[in-house]
Amino acid sequence: MTATVEYDQIHAIAQEVFAAMVDGDLGLLLPWDGDLPDIVDALVAWVDLHGEWSGRAVLVTGSDTAHDLARVLLGLDDGDAVSRADLVDAFGEIANVVGGNLKSLLPTPGTLGLPQVGDVLPPLAGAARVQHLPLSWRGRLLVVDVWVTLPTATSEGTS
Amino acid sequence: MIRVLVTDDSRVMRQIVIRTLRQAGYDWDVREASDGAEALAAIQADEPDVVLSDWNMPNMTGIELLRNLRAAGYQTPFGFVTSEGSPEMRSTAQEAGALFLIAKPFTAEGFREVIDPVLA
Repeated sequence: MTATVEYDQIHAIAQEVFAAMVDGDLGLLLPWDGDLPDIVDALVAWVDLHGEWSGRAVLVTGSDTAHDLARVLLGLDDGDAVSRADLVDAFGEIANVVGGNLKSLLPTPGTLGLPQVGDVLPPLAGAARVQHLPLSWRGRLLVVDVWVTLPTATSEGTS
Repeated sequence: MIRVLVTDDSRVMRQIVIRTLRQAGYDWDVREASDGAEALAAIQADEPDVVLSDWNMPNMTGIELLRNLRAAGYQTPFGFVTSEGSPEMRSTAQEAGALFLIAKPFTAEGFREVIDPVLA
C-alpha cells in the first residue's frame, strides 16, 4: 500500500524547513521557473523511510549551494571554509528534517533511517519517483524528490 | 544557572539547538553529547538539570537513552528535539517519561512555548 504524497505537501515541508533553519522567511524557496540547468558538482542527501509506506526523501543541489547552506546553518560568514564533515552533516540534516516531516504525513507508523550524503544517489530497489520538485533557493537550483517503494505484486501505479 | 545536555548526532543541529536556546532567552550552561550512549555516560558522571535529545541517533537512540535513564533511577527532566513529531512518537515519548517533544524545524518562539511551562 502506498499513500499519496502531494506536491504541495512536500513543497510546504521544504519551505517550512528552509524558513525555520535557513532563511527565517517562508518565501525564499520557490518553484523553479524556466528550463532546468545541469547541476554542476552535485551533492545528494537522502533519508530512507521504512514501514508499510517505504521510500526515500532526496535533496540534490550543487556543491557551491550546499556549501552556502552549511555556512548559514553553522552561522559562518560568506566565504568561510566549510569542512567536508560539516558539509555532509549540514546537508544531511536538512534531508533528515524533510524526511521526518514527510514521515509525519503518513497514515501508518514506520521508522526513519539516518541521513546519507554522497555525490550520486544509490538505487532504491523497487522504488519509483513520485514527486519531483525543482526549487529555487536564492535563485539557485535545489531539487527535492520523493521515492516510494512499490508493492512487489505490481510494477506500475504509484499512488 | 540551568545546566542542559544537548544530545544530537549532528554537530550542526547541536549548534542550531544551542543558538535557538539563546535566541529564546535561555542563558543556560550547555554541554553536548553526540549520541545516546555518550549522553548516558555524561549524565551518570554529572547529572544536568535538563536533557534535550534527538530521537534518531546511532549507538543509542534518544528513546533508549530515556528508558535507560529511568531504569537506572535518574529522573532528569528530559525533552526530545526531533525531526518526527507524529502523534505515535509523542505518545511513546510521554509514556517513557519525556516532558515534551519539539519537532524540527523549530523556532525560538516554539522553544519558549514548550519549555516555559515546564520551567514554571
